Amino acid sequence: MAAPPPLTGIRVADFSWFGAGPICSQALATFGAEVVRIESETRIDGLRSVAPFPPDKNSYNVSGWFNNYNAGKLSFSLNLNLPKGKEIAYRLVRWADIFITNFTPRVVERWGLTYDELARVKPDIVAAYAPMQGMDGPRRDYLGFGAVLCPIAGFNHLTGFSHREPVGLGTNYPDYVVNAGHTLIAILAALRHRHKTGQGQRIELAQIESSVSALGGALLDYTVNGRVEERQGNRVPYASPHGAFPCLPVERPLWPGEERPTDEVAPGDDRWCAIAVLNDEEWQALCTAMGDPDWCRDEKFSTLLGRKQHEDELEQRIGEWTKDKSAPEVMEILQAAGVPAGAIQTAQDVLENDPHLKARGYYVYLDHPEAGRTAYDGPAFRLSKTPGYLRSPAPCLGEHTYYVCKEILGMDDEEIADLVAEQVLY
Amino acid sequence: MTQDEDSALRDIRVLDIAGEIGLYCTKLLADLGADVIQVESPCGHPARGIGPFYHDEIDLEKSLYFFNLTTNKKSITLDLDSSDGRDLFRRLVPTADVVVESFPPGHLDRLGLGYAGLAQIRSDIVLTSITGFGQWGPHSRYKASDIVGLAMSGVMWLAGEAEDPPNRFYGNQGYISASIQAAAGTLMALYHRDVTGEGQQVDVSMQEALSMAQETSIQSWDLANLPRRRIGAARIPGMTVPGIGPYECRDGYVFGYLGTPGGAPWTEMLRWMADEGKAEDLTEEPYLSFIQDLGLPLLSQALTDPPTMQRIAPFLAHIENVLKRFLASKLKVDAYEEAQERRILIGIVSTPKDLVEDKQLRHRRYFQDLYHPELDETLRYPGPPARLSQTPWRLRRRPPLIGEHNAEVYGEIGLGAEEMADLKGAGVI
Repeated sequence: MAAPPPLTGIRVADFSWFGAGPICSQALATFGAEVVRIESETRIDGLRSVAPFPPDKNSYNVSGWFNNYNAGKLSFSLNLNLPKGKEIAYRLVRWADIFITNFTPRVVERWGLTYDELARVKPDIVAAYAPMQGMDGPRRDYLGFGAVLCPIAGFNHLTGFSHREPVGLGTNYPDYVVNAGHTLIAILAALRHRHKTGQGQRIELAQIESSVSALGGALLDYTVNGRVEERQGNRVPYASPHGAFPCLPVERPLWPGEERPTDEVAPGDDRWCAIAVLNDEEWQALCTAMGDPDWCRDEKFSTLLGRKQHEDELEQRIGEWTKDKSAPEVMEILQAAGVPAGAIQTAQDVLENDPHLKARGYYVYLDHPEAGRTAYDGPAFRLSKTPGYLRSPAPCLGEHTYYVCKEILGMDDEEIADLVAEQVLY
Repeated sequence: MTQDEDSALRDIRVLDIAGEIGLYCTKLLADLGADVIQVESPCGHPARGIGPFYHDEIDLEKSLYFFNLTTNKKSITLDLDSSDGRDLFRRLVPTADVVVESFPPGHLDRLGLGYAGLAQIRSDIVLTSITGFGQWGPHSRYKASDIVGLAMSGVMWLAGEAEDPPNRFYGNQGYISASIQAAAGTLMALYHRDVTGEGQQVDVSMQEALSMAQETSIQSWDLANLPRRRIGAARIPGMTVPGIGPYECRDGYVFGYLGTPGGAPWTEMLRWMADEGKAEDLTEEPYLSFIQDLGLPLLSQALTDPPTMQRIAPFLAHIENVLKRFLASKLKVDAYEEAQERRILIGIVSTPKDLVEDKQLRHRRYFQDLYHPELDETLRYPGPPARLSQTPWRLRRRPPLIGEHNAEVYGEIGLGAEEMADLKGAGVI
């Protein structure tokens, strides 16, 4: 007997796009809020037009990237460049409890969506602005998407092996967890304050600042010790061994038209297991699990200091043991022995083979009218009495324009028809 | 008590009995105004042993790693392994709104301090549990440090050069992500409590907390059976794309993302190089026409059509070399600013030093100072991840010393000086 979700009755006017904003509003929808995404056919969310797409499909409604961040929302297609479009935007703001955008300050101003303007329409609005560099300052109008934010915020300099260039994390990580999460936290805190006092407020999250906040240790090392930390690969000063160890390769499926590479281990076929030995007890457990080979008894490996000093040799020796076992096998042997270890999973592993994620039902399959049955990320946290759930697949572009006009804004059919004729609505 | 009247969580007390994985969660709550009590074992929280250290002095009271994650918190010592310690903890629970923990699932239940046990003491308690794999499921008892979460979530597979082992993200991002989701879950549960009076348990799995950061990896596999893998600087497998990836400057790197929607096209990059007389032969044919076509449509076509790829590969390689020479002649901050003036999507690869000196962050007074009387020094900390106009984020209190607030916190629940001395003698606090 589940209680209604916590945000039942909370309404969100979502003017955000791309990654962090929509991920945040998706969490609000997952926990019960009614979220209307205001979209524009002249400025379509870039993610609607990029891969991955289902085979032989390619429309604004089938991108797996876009859809994964927009489950449970309504899509309302509005032309904000026309005065009547702005007027309707304000009507939605009057309806809403929460407003979100990650447009640049210039666009926010052009469309009349500054906090002062919104507060005139809806005094207790919780309005969240999440531009790249902040709403003021000399660089407020700088361009940026996640791919550039990651290096600017310091992740690239600090991640990877020291002999490599600062290539980054492979994805725009700060957008998906750090910035979306910090925005959600700020909104929930503000909502709580409003519930207690009746007072709304303005939230400003500069993506660069939010991202930098996740790298605090390295910053203090500089501000206090004057030290600029460098890339250290997978090693850390306080644990050894600590890294990724080679396991039995697995032949990956080929891309369409691709020939199987001739490398000994083709890129993508390699498999690895992460191992982290945090103390001497775990080191002993690792030695036992490996069958107590002679080299393990060497005095030089018996302390953290010694293992750090001889880390190249240590890693090579452990790699000799892992390399003819599958990654899940290494993980299971070590976990049974009490050593933290985890297979470095591919998407296929995560989605299809991981028995744990499957048992927990983390990925949710939803039926979309155009994209078909596809996988979505489930809630990133679970509440025992009011669990969140994805109520519907991502909306098609403008799918709910009529519904929003009629049911939310209370327009009659004639008014709607006029607005369509005037191209205020698409 | 120095609770701020205008903070969002001024009425909330949090008992943090979690390990390293929960430190950032309770920092987020503390910085929003909650009264967070870091419950440490009598020999100090394990994260106090992790560097970097203040002036490299290895000392449990000088860990900068711990400092960063404990601003605004109080500290008490309490040995939860002893039954006297647990009794004392039970006396604290009625004063708390939230308990944050990270024990292996079932451990607290066996001690009578799981959700059911805590709810008996305080019926509307919110218990936030943060572990590697969540409270239930076949891997729920697996040991998970940060790198194990990164590995199992699928994000590590995507990071690094193809020929290297996958890369760990810097800075315990598995813990940070789990903590961020946990703070959000805690606030969601508190909002529900505000409205209904009902408490509950929040279950956070580091593996699930990180999953969203796989970007399109899951959907590429699910929709199209295309396996994404790590490709390092190549950005697009098997192809050099000029303007995408890291470029070396005189004093470090910048990172480009040219030709993607949102930024100026390659022709603007060419104009910039030409304006400085460094475009070499790119302003001449055949390069000039080629650059006018250089964008996502051409590159996508090349990806699926080997003859096109073969035809354009030498052009791409040459343009890449000219671009490398051009950017190598610049200071990274100049390249960043000049590119952005032209709406070209290039960002600086900031070092920690660059961030502290960053014009924008300085203008916005992002970094904030806190005085540490024991060190007689003011340390500069990272500032707010988000700014709330009515309930400001604020550094009110430097990170606590081990057990600094024993007298205050235990005094509130009526522990006398004598009882406290006894418990101290017994190693409970």
